[in-house]
Amino acid sequence: MNAVRDTAHATGASGIHRLNPLTKLAFAVTVTVCAFAVVDYRWPLLLFGALLLPAAIGAGVSRRFLLLLATFWVPAAVVLFLIQGFFLPGAHDVIARLGPLELKREGVSFALQTALHILVLMSGFFLLLLTTHAGAFMSALSERKVSPSLVYIVSASLQIVPALNRRATRILHAQQARGQVIHGLRGRARALVPLMGPLILGAFTDVGERAAAMETRGFGATRRPTSLTEVPDSGAQRFLRAAMLLCAVAAVTVNVWGVLR
Amino acid sequence: MIEVKGFSFTYPTASRPALADVAFEVAPRELCAVVGGGGAGKSTLAGVVSGTVPHLTGGTAHGVVRVNGRDLAETPLSGLVGEVGLVMQNPFNQISGARFSVREEIAFGLENLGVPREEMAARIDPVLDDLGLTGVRDRSPYELSGGQQQLLAIGSILVMRPTVMVLDEPTSQLDAAGNALVFEALGTLREQGVTVLLIEHRMERLAGAADRVLVLDRGTIVAQGTPGEVLADERLEEWGVAPLRYTVAARHAAARGLWPDRQPLPVTLDAAAEGFGETTDRLARGDRR
Repeated sequence: MNAVRDTAHATGASGIHRLNPLTKLAFAVTVTVCAFAVVDYRWPLLLFGALLLPAAIGAGVSRRFLLLLATFWVPAAVVLFLIQGFFLPGAHDVIARLGPLELKREGVSFALQTALHILVLMSGFFLLLLTTHAGAFMSALSERKVSPSLVYIVSASLQIVPALNRRATRILHAQQARGQVIHGLRGRARALVPLMGPLILGAFTDVGERAAAMETRGFGATRRPTSLTEVPDSGAQRFLRAAMLLCAVAAVTVNVWGVLR
Repeated sequence: MIEVKGFSFTYPTASRPALADVAFEVAPRELCAVVGGGGAGKSTLAGVVSGTVPHLTGGTAHGVVRVNGRDLAETPLSGLVGEVGLVMQNPFNQISGARFSVREEIAFGLENLGVPREEMAARIDPVLDDLGLTGVRDRSPYELSGGQQQLLAIGSILVMRPTVMVLDEPTSQLDAAGNALVFEALGTLREQGVTVLLIEHRMERLAGAADRVLVLDRGTIVAQGTPGEVLADERLEEWGVAPLRYTVAARHAAARGLWPDRQPLPVTLDAAAEGFGETTDRLARGDRR
């Protein structure tokens, strides 16, 4: 299958690409749960350095993986450090001063821990997104007898942003063709109001037509749906998923008992 | 086969009927076109024959609509899936939004009907081929042009092998190239023996494509016949339908004795060219009768 621009999926033939999407989902969930289980910044760093980054390199998607992290994780981490570092309630150990603002050790430590948790969470799911065709993911869910309505909602949600983006662009072009000038921040803010009306109302109007189209294509049929895309699976992968699930449960348990704090 | 007898329909909040005492038949494998002005009831008629009206819209209906002998009033919409297909004006709204490639989008209906994977593959590829979509089979449906999206909508229905297809102004949002693609697809439907009800407001290609034309005006059928009879009717404009320019030109020419006597008014460009060519030849010979 070719890469589809509406999703992050990158074509590839690595072992990770060939894994069942549910195995990759189980991996993403397990590393995330494990990262949160231990209150020590080295632990999520180890998960990232020993598992997630090598997996991205092995899958041949390291460039896009790092780019996604730079786009989403870095800004989140910067905001966390600024807010927690300067304003964490109850923190008192000042390590630097910036005018009236005081940077506190407890805040920086908390921000570091949280940012690394988020790094693991994002990395796990970016790896899933980059190495899994969305269609295969949906097929894997269908094969596990997940409700067709739920599968539809999940897959439609994955495409709703690009679809709305296209609609918004068309509306903006139409408004600009009728003389609307969009310059600078204020102009963009002013353009937002006349954009939102047709964008949202248009989307609502389309719902009825789309519902009719779906009905005539058997979406409401009572038969058990099948799937065009064949999703590979094996006994070994099923075992791996069960093992990861146990790992996640164990991580939650040791966290609840406070064993590794 | 489509049979509509004494059918009237009023939308839930409307004060007057959208369709009033409509009656017509479309024979198996026939392509019947419906024309009419804005608000004539064309889309309602498309909905009625495809079963979405009144099943999805509500409203009050009287009369009988049968498709392949099945009374639609007594048939749930799910019972028509795979037998009657509907293609609407806006191709964008017919994309499920839940599939990530053209091939998967075409498979959507088959998946819902529980068709086995091997059979799906065998049915999808010929449809892609017939509609010229093989080259874009792995692209996202959202990346296609409007014409290609409309072809995809047609293919998504065609793959379910319906015996009746209703197309509600499938070219209304398309450019000339998209328009041509859709009319080519209509040719494919005819080759496959599908009965077609085509709602259309662009009439340039209708005469060449349709076996019969119905005119709807304010919810009532005011004329029906062959394309030659209906599209050359002088009252077309009164019914809210813009006549073809070459038909009007030929009518003006005929009034001045400049249209061949035994030739009917043209409803295709070829017929118009032939008629005016004959007149030009006659005038060139000096015959000014």
